[in-house]
Formats: sequence, C-alpha cells, structure tokens
Amino acid sequence: MKLELGIIKISDIQFAAESKVEGSTLYVNKDELKALIMEDETFASCELDIARPGESVRITPVKDVIEPRVKVSGEGGVFPGWMAKVKTVGSGRTNVLKGCAVVTTGKIVGFQEGIIDMCGEGAKYTPFSQLNNLVLCVEPVEGTLQHAYEKAVRIAGLKAATYLGKLAKDIEAEEVRTYETPSITEGIKLYPGLPRVGYVLMLQSQGLLHDTYVYGVDAKQSLTTMLYPTETMDGAIISGNCVSACDKNTTYHHLNNPVIEDLYARHGKDLNFVGVIITNENVYLADKERSSDWSAKLCEFLGLDGAIISQEGFGNPDTDLIMNCKKIEAKGVKTVIITDEYAGQDGASQSLADADVAANACVTGGNANTVIHLPKMDKVIGHIEYVDKIAGGWSGSLQEDGSIIAELQVITGATNEMGFNTFSAR
Amino acid sequence: MIILTNNPDVQNMLTDRSVCFVEGSYRDVLVRARDMVHQGHRLLTHPLMGSLKPNETPYRSVGLSEEKGSLDFDSLQLIENAIETFDKFAAVTRPDRGSNTPERMLADFRLIDASLLKTALESAEQPPDFRR
Amino acid sequence: MIKVVHYINQFYAGKGGEEMANIPPEKVKGFVGPGMAFNAAFQGEAEIVATVFCGDSYFNENKEAVDTVIALIKEENPDIVICGPAFNAGRYGVACGTVASEVKAQLGIPTLTGMYDENPGVDMFKSKTIIMKTKDSAAGMRKAVAAMAPVALRMAKGEELGSAAAEGYFPTGIRKGLFEEKRGSERAVDMLLKKLAGEEFETEYPMPQFDRVQPNPAVVDLAHAKVALVTSGGIVPKGNPDHIESSSASHYGKYDIDGVQVLTDKTYETAHGGYDPVYANADPNRVLPVDVMREFEKEGRIGELSHYYYATVGNGTAVASAKKFADTFSKELIADGVQAVILTST
Repeated sequence: MKLELGIIKISDIQFAAESKVEGSTLYVNKDELKALIMEDETFASCELDIARPGESVRITPVKDVIEPRVKVSGEGGVFPGWMAKVKTVGSGRTNVLKGCAVVTTGKIVGFQEGIIDMCGEGAKYTPFSQLNNLVLCVEPVEGTLQHAYEKAVRIAGLKAATYLGKLAKDIEAEEVRTYETPSITEGIKLYPGLPRVGYVLMLQSQGLLHDTYVYGVDAKQSLTTMLYPTETMDGAIISGNCVSACDKNTTYHHLNNPVIEDLYARHGKDLNFVGVIITNENVYLADKERSSDWSAKLCEFLGLDGAIISQEGFGNPDTDLIMNCKKIEAKGVKTVIITDEYAGQDGASQSLADADVAANACVTGGNANTVIHLPKMDKVIGHIEYVDKIAGGWSGSLQEDGSIIAELQVITGATNEMGFNTFSAR
Repeated sequence: MIILTNNPDVQNMLTDRSVCFVEGSYRDVLVRARDMVHQGHRLLTHPLMGSLKPNETPYRSVGLSEEKGSLDFDSLQLIENAIETFDKFAAVTRPDRGSNTPERMLADFRLIDASLLKTALESAEQPPDFRR
Repeated sequence: MIKVVHYINQFYAGKGGEEMANIPPEKVKGFVGPGMAFNAAFQGEAEIVATVFCGDSYFNENKEAVDTVIALIKEENPDIVICGPAFNAGRYGVACGTVASEVKAQLGIPTLTGMYDENPGVDMFKSKTIIMKTKDSAAGMRKAVAAMAPVALRMAKGEELGSAAAEGYFPTGIRKGLFEEKRGSERAVDMLLKKLAGEEFETEYPMPQFDRVQPNPAVVDLAHAKVALVTSGGIVPKGNPDHIESSSASHYGKYDIDGVQVLTDKTYETAHGGYDPVYANADPNRVLPVDVMREFEKEGRIGELSHYYYATVGNGTAVASAKKFADTFSKELIADGVQAVILTST
C-alpha cells in the first residue's frame, strides 16, 4: 500500500468572509463553520478563536487536537467511519494542512485537563504550541449527559478539521512525501537481509472518556489486529480519550504517529517495516490476557525480528505494556517499549505500576509528576477556573498573579508515549 | 463476579449482583481486595483502572472472582503494586481531591468509575470466562 | 565560612566500642576524631562548628534519638551536615542514613554520608541522601575524606552534583528530566536496531531489580527426607551465646537440637530487635517450629529433623551478608545429607 502526503504549509490562520487557503494562510469564515458545528442539537453555543505560536495565550481544558487533511485520490475519505464511509484508507494521495490544527475544548465533567500554552515555560513541553490553532469552544444544551457531550465534541472536532481540509483538496502541494509498505511476501523479496520490524500500537480503551476508535469501532470491543501504517495517516484511528492530558494520544498524534514516521525513515535501509499491530488496554483482566496473547501471536505470525511497543496512559495500561513486552519477547522477538513515568514530584518513587526484566530496552517520555511554573497569559481561551480541577493541578495551583504551579501532567502531550517529544528522564 | 466498591452509583447500578460495599476510601477498597486475594479470590478487573490518579478520585470499584482457589500470584502482584502506587500518589495531598473533593465533582468521579466498571462487566458477559 | 556539623558514633567519638554503644546523643563544639581530617581537607573554606555523636545501639533502639540529634544539629544552623563515613558498620550506617535523610527532609539542609556498598544503609537511604562510596573499613578513611570533603563544599554552596558515576556516590534512583537531541520514537528505533544487532544499548529506565529465586522442584519422598530448620527470626539458645546482633547481623549461629523435643522460654529466646519479642520468647516454637517438626518426625511425615539449625537476625541485615551466610551453611547442610530446608522469618 502506497500513500502520498501532499504537504501544504500553513503559517497563519485568519477569520475572513470566505474560507480558503491562499499562500500559506488559512482563511476561515467563522459564521459558516459555526453553523456547521451548530447543526448538532447537542450544542447551545459555539465559539471560534485563533491561537498562534508565540502569542500570550493559554488554551484549556483541551479535549482533542486534530490536523486538517483531505483525500485527493485513492479509496475512501479521511476519518473513515466518522466523516467518510467505512472504506479502507491509506492509499493514493492525501493533502495535509501542515502547521495548523483544530483544538477542541469543553468542560465535559467537573474535573478537567489539558493546557496548551502558546509561549513561555509551558510551550516548551507541548508540540501544539508550534501550531496555528483554530480553537473550538462548544457548550451543550442543558441536561446533556456527559457521554453525549463527549461524543458531540469529538465529532465537532472531526467536522471542523474535515471542513478545513477540504479547502486544500485542489491545491497542488509543493512537497510530497511518499510512504509505501509492500505485501509480506514482496517485503521478504525486496529486503532479504534486513531485520523485520513491527510496531505494536496500544490504544486507550477503558471506557467513558478513555476510548479510541478504529474505523468507527470502539477499540475495546476489537481483538488485536493489523493495519498498514499509512491507514493511520488518513485518520483510521481517532481519539476519544479525554483523561490524562500529558500521555494521551490525540487524533493529531495518531495522524502523525512518530514511530511510524521514524520506522519509515529507516525502511529499506536498516530495517523492513512490516506493519502496525493495534491492541487495546481494557480494564477486564481476561481481555488483557487475550489481547496481549494476540499481539505476541501476530508478531510471531509475521516473522518479526523486532517490535516497538508504545503505550497510552498510566496504571492499568502499565500492565498491558508489560504483558505485551513479556509475551512478545518470549516469542523471540526483540522489543523496545515507550512509556512515561510517575516517579513522584521528587522523582524518587517507582516510575511504573508494573515491571518485568523482559522490558530491558525502554524509552521514556519523562516524569509526569515534575512540577512546573506556568506564567500568566494575557488571554485564556476556554475555562481557566478549571485549572484547579485539572489532573496534575491542585487547589491553589492557580496563583493570585494568574500563573500556575502544577505537575507536567496538566500539559497536553507533554510526556507522550509514542515518543513524539524530546523530553525524557534519566 | 464479586464487586468491591465504595461508589454508591455502582451499588445502585447493580441491584442484581453481589456488590460488596466498602464504607471507606479508595485505599480501603484496595486493601479489602488484597485480603480477598489472599483468601483465594482472583482479580478480574485492574485495580488501577482509569487514568484518574489515585489522589484525584475518591472512588474505586474492583471485580473479583466468586470462586476461591489457591492463591493467584498474578492477582497478588497486581493488587500489591496497586497499593504501592496508591501510596505514592497519596504522598501529594490535594486539598480538594481524594476524600476532600467538592460535591459537584464527586458525581463525575462516581460516573467515570461506574462506567469503566460497566465495560468490564460487558466484557465478562461476552463469552464465558475460561481464563485459567 | 561554610558551617559544618559532623555526626559520628560512640567509637569515633573516642568513647569506646560496643560496651559504650548505649550512650545517648551528645554534642561538643568543634571537631572530634575523623572531623580533624575533614577540617583539614576543607582548606579554610569550611569548618566543623560542632560534632554530634550517639551510641549505635542507643540510636537504633530508641525512636526519640533521631529527634534529639536533629534538635542538636538545628541549633547550629549549619550549611551542610556530614554523617560518618560508616564504612561497612551496619548499625552505624543506618544511623548515618537516618540522620542524613531526616536532616535533609526536616531542616532542608544538604547532607552527605559515606558507606561501603554492602552496608544495609545504602539500600535504605540512597534515594534520600547522597551516600559516597567508601571502602569496607576505617582503613579507607583518608580516601573517603578526600572524596567527601570537596563534594560537601559544593553541596553547601548549592552547586548541582554531576552523575553518580562521575562523583562517586551511589545512584540515587532519582529521576531527572531533560530534553534529548532526538525525539523518543527515533531513540526507540535506534535502540531497537542496536538490540537486534546484538550491540550494547542503554535503556532510559532500568526496570527495578527483584531478586527472585526460582523454587526448587518439590521433594518427592518427604517421608524419608532429612529436613533442617533455618531462621532469620533470631531464635537462639538462652543468653545468645554467639552475640548475634539485634539488627544488621554480622554473623549467624549453628545450634544442636539433637534430642530437643520442644523449645521453651527457659532454654531459647529471640535476639531479634525488629519485632515485639514477647510472643517469641514465651514460645520460641512460634518462630522456629521444633515442636511440630518432632510430631511430623514421629508420624513419619518427614524422615528426620536435622541435628542442627541455623539462625540469624534479618533486621536490617544486608542482602549481601545474608547471601554470604547461606553460601557457607548451605554447604554444611548438603554435607550433613539434608534434603529439604524450612526457612522461617518474622
């Protein structure tokens, strides 16, 4: 399967009378997009705002971050099962509005999370401070239940990203990146001497506010299965995970999965990137046994020599991570795991809730309990009063001068377990 | 499945099953689960389910096997690790978290705990559990 | 001038050895014993303003000792507190580790101690205070002072220390954040390629090491097996003839129980200082079940009970010491034809 990504660089977003991409500026007709979002009767109101890199702006509480993309050619459409029919995606050409994103916010439950600071100390830890963000603040009509609101916000984000993506459908991209994965047998013929490497992508799937969807299917109801790597680039996987801002994989992460990019970078040179195994992180222990058995079985079935395993979340998923690692290693397949740590504010505590000697090669996204001081921002998009209720914040986190003292946990994407960032710990 | 919980919503949701209500904290539920593991019950759900940290939500539900057998070491390790992790987080006190959470947030914490447990119950009810 | 308070035990304070190990905390102005070497090594940049000392037994057996020591130290308002070095002395190591950790935690003053790597204090306190690596005895004092003094000066000035390997202290296990040059996913790919090629790679998070021992296969014919008892619960003949220490034991005892049908409070007791001894002393069989073993012997459930049992105290005893004990007496057990051992602890 072969996919071309047409990269259309966006360096600014402006509200305008007509939605369009001109040069590297994305123009958005506020009323038109608002009307589109408000078609969903769940919403009482919808506000749009823009946050640019370097501005003194704080966005909170962040639900999801989504990169606008559009299918130019090839089967299906971006976000299959949601914004397009359930057709296999990942081939042909897709245009990407690179340098911008849709950010959704909303107070779905009383406790909240996710801060994106566009400048200052906090900006160093989140990759989204480098993007031009179109922020969607949507409020529900009274009496909306939490799960209905969560779903509506999730779909609103996808809708907005799809709306923006379509503006780039007819643009001829200057830069085109090509990703190709041959069939198993072709791969063996093409790269006879190279180690066969797979990627085991663990998806958050514990329940309300902790879910991930694959082609519209709730991941917790799926057996461990396989994808061509390029399917993720067309939005085969979307995030419905709203808890634990620092180590949740947003839809943006799934679209731009760094493990997939970096395995492709060495594909055909140092390794043969065979494919992606997706597996879940359920709360029922028998599900964990089954899913990790299947990950190991598929690694064996594909004749892999090595696998990278990435995690999502804390606690419960630590057990899935260690089970996957142990069982895959037991099949004779060498593994590297990517995780993050909760080592306490002083860094002295045990980092993970589970451990095993098989996990002897580990990459870490850093200690989520690290205390940081975020300066006051001139403008807040969303609800600053919820900072005290954010995971990783506490009563008194919000200082009188408007600055915030909190754990790194509050920052969206700060300790990402796909290895999206350079932050780490030793 | 025996449900140990300190979450009233779970008790209300599961009128048809054996719910063992624990008058106490998140940690008390974990300790009770540990005691039951020592008595030969197996853990059926992960004691740290959910991404809410132990010093944030005061509610916890854990599913254990009805039947008793010899001590299940996997369950024991899991529950001991969970208690250790709980204590690690409890070291950072948060005035309006854990047992001091304001009422308007409590309802949401109860909801999350109950819905995560529900996914486990749904899983349990799919095929019969032939594990072990 | 940087103000230093030095903590030492009764021995280094010149008060005497084991017979003086029960003296309570005291403070004197200026340096005592090894403090002289420290003062010289500071080369005028720092000075020991006071020395606090305490008997090792007193410190380990009296909970309030640490509070007294801390109060004595606090009065001096020092810039840094140096404890020991304790080399391989177990109780002294625990005392140094306790004082250093508590001063750091309660007073927020930097602290430094030194120990040999088998000292039980290392594992107990390495995450709570800086512990410099030393030799196993006071013969290494000169070297220890030369290593500790400059580190102490830098800590007192608030300077960040380098890595454990570079500075010569035990890795604290404390996780420190940093920005790497490459992102995590790229580091993961690099690490995997090295692992696949069989090259050396360095994990970013070493998994905690658990010393798990695989159980031996079950004894097939217990009815004809010779079984021995081994305990870390400190059960010794009354009077503790081998003087096994109540904590951080340096040795074990081997005792003949040929013909002994039951242990009584007249004949046996516990030397263990880490639990309430009342119930063990009243009925030592509770820790070392000679009575039940004799019954099993009569019923033919075991072949026979070995003539000897081995005992030590597990209270703060270093894993390395325990391993050494077992290495020695396991050979004797095998030579005696013992086929199974029941290990009891507390």
